[in-house]
Amino acid sequence: MTTPTTPVNESATEKFSVKTKQTTPAATTSQRRGVRKAVIVGGNRIPFARSGGAYSHCSNQDMLTAALDGLVARFGLADEEIGEVAAGAVLKHSRDFNLTREAVLGSALAATTPAYDLQQACATGMEAVIGLSNKIKLGQIDSAIAGGVDSASDAPIAVSEGLRAILLDLNRAKTMGQKAKIISRIRPKDLSPDAPSTGEPRTGLSMGEHQALTTAQWKISREAQDELALASHKNLAAAYDRNFFDDLVTPFRGLSRDSNLRGDSTLEKLASLKPVFGKSLGDNATMTAGNSTPLTDGASAVLLASDEWAQARDLPILADVLDGEAAAVDFVHGKDGLLMAPAFAVPRLLARNGLTLDDIDYFEIHEAFAGTVLSTLAAWEDEEFGTTRLGLDGAFGSIDRSKLNVNGSSLAAGHPFAATGGRLVATLAKMLHERGQVDGRPARGLISVCAAGGQGVVAILEAR
Amino acid sequence: MTDATVLTEMPSLSKLYVNAAASAAKSRLLRSSPTVALPPRAVEVRGVRADLEKVTEFAHLMGEPARDVVPSGYLHALAFPVAMSVMVQDDFPLPLLGMIHLHNQVEHLAPVLFTDELLIRAWARDLEGHRSGTQVQIVAEIHTVDGTALLWRGVSTYLAKGVYLPGLDKPTAPVARVDFVPPTPTAQWQLGVDTGRAYAAVSGDFNPIHLSVLSAKALGMRRSIAHGMYAASRVLAAVPQHKPESFSWEISFDSPVFLPATVSLEVIDHRTDDGVWLSSEFLAWNARSARKFFSGTVWAA
Repeated sequence: MTTPTTPVNESATEKFSVKTKQTTPAATTSQRRGVRKAVIVGGNRIPFARSGGAYSHCSNQDMLTAALDGLVARFGLADEEIGEVAAGAVLKHSRDFNLTREAVLGSALAATTPAYDLQQACATGMEAVIGLSNKIKLGQIDSAIAGGVDSASDAPIAVSEGLRAILLDLNRAKTMGQKAKIISRIRPKDLSPDAPSTGEPRTGLSMGEHQALTTAQWKISREAQDELALASHKNLAAAYDRNFFDDLVTPFRGLSRDSNLRGDSTLEKLASLKPVFGKSLGDNATMTAGNSTPLTDGASAVLLASDEWAQARDLPILADVLDGEAAAVDFVHGKDGLLMAPAFAVPRLLARNGLTLDDIDYFEIHEAFAGTVLSTLAAWEDEEFGTTRLGLDGAFGSIDRSKLNVNGSSLAAGHPFAATGGRLVATLAKMLHERGQVDGRPARGLISVCAAGGQGVVAILEAR
Repeated sequence: MTDATVLTEMPSLSKLYVNAAASAAKSRLLRSSPTVALPPRAVEVRGVRADLEKVTEFAHLMGEPARDVVPSGYLHALAFPVAMSVMVQDDFPLPLLGMIHLHNQVEHLAPVLFTDELLIRAWARDLEGHRSGTQVQIVAEIHTVDGTALLWRGVSTYLAKGVYLPGLDKPTAPVARVDFVPPTPTAQWQLGVDTGRAYAAVSGDFNPIHLSVLSAKALGMRRSIAHGMYAASRVLAAVPQHKPESFSWEISFDSPVFLPATVSLEVIDHRTDDGVWLSSEFLAWNARSARKFFSGTVWAA
């Protein structure tokens, strides 16, 4: 650890000097720039469903509208004009170019609420929260809803590239002769449809295969992955059992809990599963369907606001959105693992805010795979990674595992790509609010989400 | 109406249509003298639930998000087999096939969830003369299964064209036609020839006049026509955008929407100064001939 571990408050952060390459601590935190705070009022999501399950006939628009309407009902926002709504989906039909605006129009919000779609793979929800928070901080808007949705069940399937080219040419043809000539170009292979895949375009490897390489690189054991998966299920089930999600989740289509949740799972059951990724690694193959997230359908939404807006409506204020950071890694030729960008984003974000891992009370590290979380933690604990890759004097540090994903995470809840950010932000905001103060300062939480394309988006929230 | 025939299960619409065709043939053969009174009994089915998959398809066809709350138009489709059972009773005085939908009025008193177990009751009332035949109203009610709360009530007015029953008064003179001047449309629907088949698939209403040119011609139509309830449901999908707990709507059908069609639509919203929705009026006409198709109102109640 290279930074002080004393409690940090807004003025105290001025005094810090952090020996990292980003040595201007807190130079850009919102308070110092004289901008106002962006607060989290609350969130709502529908239970997440394994693909092909309860939501298999639901569209992204159905689910996003349901998440929005649940949020509207929870906070009395019917006919309210919100500053802006931003959401997105990773698997998206081309007809859904205005998915978020259409969901707003179908929701109980005022039709005069502007909306836009955004997409940053699995970090979509996080980027929506950070981008809208920044607009609130700058005073451009007073309220916002950040969301995300994904359906692996109702995924878009396109015509083949060959057929697409032929159909477009056909549309441009003028005479019957031209048309007949173009139609004669169609071959049987053109008729097979083109379904989306989780493969990285530049490597041809699926996300699971990429992570299998990273998991092996950081020597993460099968047992450690299974233990993390089991903890995720146990923690999520316990949180449901003590009604923690009652004001975060609205039942939909007969589902009131995430359908992937297996509260009665055991290490023995998890150990019995065969590896599904990295099978070329032979005995070193450790990633199973139990310690990887399944394809999932679901949607989430988070209500953000300025203090004044929330107070004027007598709405709760759970947490501040303190700061956010994106990072990307050069994964294409294997310099870093595909999902390792948060390992770089978190040190930068903490340094900028004059914080260390010890100043964080809750860690929400998205469990794309158990191996992703454990590889990230291993990199942070690795001296060489700290010095050569992060530019620190030693290892970045380790975290108290009792602070990690304490109410479960994606391995148990499932991972509808763009909806995960909203789930994490609303869950953490509520946890921080319940925790209140720690050592005389507001409780702090860190969210880390990895994304396709070698990207990652991380953020710090602070209790109110 | 308290006296009711209780059916043990939801009647099949396709069987009802076959029965209707058979009884039409029978009455032609026997030339039995028609009765001029309505059957005194209601028909009732208990323990009905909406089919979630059909509700989802219905909502998507109308262009609205599929919700756990069942669309008002779908409830009409859900109650329709019971309403039809009223009209295929042996002592029902009008032929079911070829009847024309004139008007609908619905009170949607409380949200109905797809999980709700329901009681559906329907009966006929107000058999009256009409300048071009005989009209009748079919009342359909949807209650909670224990019958303690009325959730939805629809009154459909149908016309049996060319059927004149002895002793029924007819209006003395046809209502004077007012020249219809189309306003500026706020929306336009392009309805393909498959519109009737698509609605039949989600609603179960396979009335031959909606399915194809041939089946429509067999019943005296020059082409197939869109279901009136398709039009009503499609308007209701977006009007109002946010449904209050209870609301009412009514729709009058002026002329059939022959398929394919381009329908021009005007919707006028009425709101309080605070932006709270009060009511909406809608009007639809043929974009090419400027002939009025249908009009109606949706209001918070």
